[in-house]
Amino acid sequence: MEPPRTTLVRLLLLGSVVAPCTGAAQRPDDGQWVMPGRDYASTRYSGLTQLTSANVARLKPVWNFSTGVLRGHEGQPLVVKNTMYVVTPYPNVLYAFDLTQPDYPLKWKYRPMVDPNALGMACCDAINRGAFYADGRIVYNLLDGHTVAVDAGTGRELWNVKVADLSEGETTPMAPMVVRNRVLVGPSGGEFGIHGWLKALDLATGNLAWMARNVGPDRDILARPRTFKPFYDRGTDLGLSTWSGDTWKIGGAPVWGWLSYDAELDLVYYGVGNPGPYNPEQRLGDNKWTNSVLARRPGDGSLIWAYQFTPHDNWDYDSNAEMILVDLVIKGRVRKVLVHFDKNGFAYTIDRSNGEVLVAEPYAHVNWARRVDLISGRPVIDSAKFTGSTRGNVKYICPSLEGGKSPVSPAAFSPRTGWFYVSTVNLCMDFNAEQRARIRGTPFIGASTPYVAGPGGHMGGFMAWDAVSGRKVWEIKEKYPVWSGVVVTAGDVAFYGTLDGWLKAVNARTGTLLWKFKVGSGIVSAPITYRGPDGRQYVAIYSGIGGDWALLSGDVRSDDPTDVRDPADFIRDLGRYTSGGGMVWVFAL
Amino acid sequence: MKLLPLVGLMLAAGCRAKQPDDATIADSAAAPLSVPYDQHILAGGTAPRGVSESNPFAGDEKSAAEGKRLFSSMNCDGCHGGGEGWVAPSLSDGRWRYGGSDAALFQSVYYGRPKGMPAFGGLLSAPIIWKLVTYVRSLPPPKAVPTQGW
Repeated sequence: MEPPRTTLVRLLLLGSVVAPCTGAAQRPDDGQWVMPGRDYASTRYSGLTQLTSANVARLKPVWNFSTGVLRGHEGQPLVVKNTMYVVTPYPNVLYAFDLTQPDYPLKWKYRPMVDPNALGMACCDAINRGAFYADGRIVYNLLDGHTVAVDAGTGRELWNVKVADLSEGETTPMAPMVVRNRVLVGPSGGEFGIHGWLKALDLATGNLAWMARNVGPDRDILARPRTFKPFYDRGTDLGLSTWSGDTWKIGGAPVWGWLSYDAELDLVYYGVGNPGPYNPEQRLGDNKWTNSVLARRPGDGSLIWAYQFTPHDNWDYDSNAEMILVDLVIKGRVRKVLVHFDKNGFAYTIDRSNGEVLVAEPYAHVNWARRVDLISGRPVIDSAKFTGSTRGNVKYICPSLEGGKSPVSPAAFSPRTGWFYVSTVNLCMDFNAEQRARIRGTPFIGASTPYVAGPGGHMGGFMAWDAVSGRKVWEIKEKYPVWSGVVVTAGDVAFYGTLDGWLKAVNARTGTLLWKFKVGSGIVSAPITYRGPDGRQYVAIYSGIGGDWALLSGDVRSDDPTDVRDPADFIRDLGRYTSGGGMVWVFAL
Repeated sequence: MKLLPLVGLMLAAGCRAKQPDDATIADSAAAPLSVPYDQHILAGGTAPRGVSESNPFAGDEKSAAEGKRLFSSMNCDGCHGGGEGWVAPSLSDGRWRYGGSDAALFQSVYYGRPKGMPAFGGLLSAPIIWKLVTYVRSLPPPKAVPTQGW
């Protein structure tokens, strides 16, 4: 449908000449960590230089604190004005630690009421992905569909509003993003037949400013004829016409990952999750805009462009992973791009002004598609890997629905090397879909999907990726899936954690392991680094295994004597090395 | 609510002549059970008054097989896995958070439980719930509990 110029771009992608990224990451580092991705570009890059590949081997734990919660500790702390803010998994306690005092005593803790029914509506552990600091407020989501704003100084609740409907299967573990006076939030529930959306709340009051559906007619997804210009698609009501019958009304499209923002283009970017149910024969068509990236105006929510990574998803390849905004030299020309590591195993380099795919190459073992056709923007699918209730048990699909990389584990970008640092999962799956009816307030899934280790037998890894050439630079193989986020620093050190509880520091240029420390429980969170009031550089991370890995690894949560389980066959021994336990760890030289 | 005729049909197809009359059981659900939780400590050593009903399909393999199908079609497996537990507890470990008698299980399904178990009593008739209970009770507890060795 598009002129063949995209092919030309593809052919002319030479070398990795990388310009420093623009936007927030280019500003001098103030040593704080005020939002999940560190900056609006979601680079998770810190300009702090005290820790280097030469001295990080001397890193030592200097403080830790038990959160009193055993569930999966995803997300990351914030550090603002010498205070560290920590949000726990359900019951979503907010701790404020005074970093200016010895032992970092609490200034206050905030304990909201959270409906315990949320425990039954959260698909895969009762996790939380963190808070956002803006204008003297800590803003975050409670699992039960409420968003709260808390005074960052006093811990006083400023507002607490209901944004999502638990009875429809909507929960809210994602971290909000604040742009100017808008708080952007979205629901989980791709496994409950929700009708996904993004909402903007007023930062001062919590009042609803606008709501945009991710699927449905143009008026509901805020696609206006003058302003909505997808690069590959033409026509109106695509969020309606690409679904059979009324299936879009219960078609999922959750927002459980991360958001990014480009101030110059005034565009917010976020990934949309899977269509429901998993059985694709119950929802014929492309199912737009599930498994897509959407670009919206934060002011009024207008949809500017959209691109679908996996049309008519047959494999639960949610696209909720972060969109990292950088400027790269492609074909001798600086392009404003977003880089996205999709669950479907392809890494995409996309022009973030218009949604044109510039590079799409597999970063993991992929067998459901041969490649992504850059002319049409569509994957070239191996028809033997289509799933559905009439196809029985379809064997050995790679990647598994955990993704070649999980959206849970946001990658980082270093402008010094020009590379992305990415935790990966090497699993494949069988997919046995069956017909399901949606019953409000119950799961709407309809597939069993057992996993096996992918080629090589290792289940995870950590890699450096060149998004200009679409090539892996180096890779470390890990025994278990790697589900931690990443931070990379101006000292050329990258940090990540493993499910068996090691926090690791590697040389960002070579991938050489420089340091590791066992934190006591598996890591599914994202490390941060900050400058303390004493001028020293610190690294902080949560331990506390959770999410699918706590559910699959058998009895790693031992707090309920009425619930004892066997581990899944493919990961029988992880429970030898970890059990649940949420702690905040701080390290320094 | 359009599901109700469906489950009614499934039930009718699966009923045996010797089983209790469905209408009678459905009527009994109109006055829901109040089941004393048999693991409670009794203040003063005195049990509260309560009723308990017996499962009309207890031990019936055909009912258990129907219950297994219902366990999928009512989306129970989405939270409880294949009965082995997911975000909701295992139902095959021989251990029970809210009591493991047939009547206690009926109560859990009918009224729901506060940590996220939905109440199905508004959607499912009593015979349907008893068949689910019959299926859950048929799941064999694993041998290795309580020790897991490597």
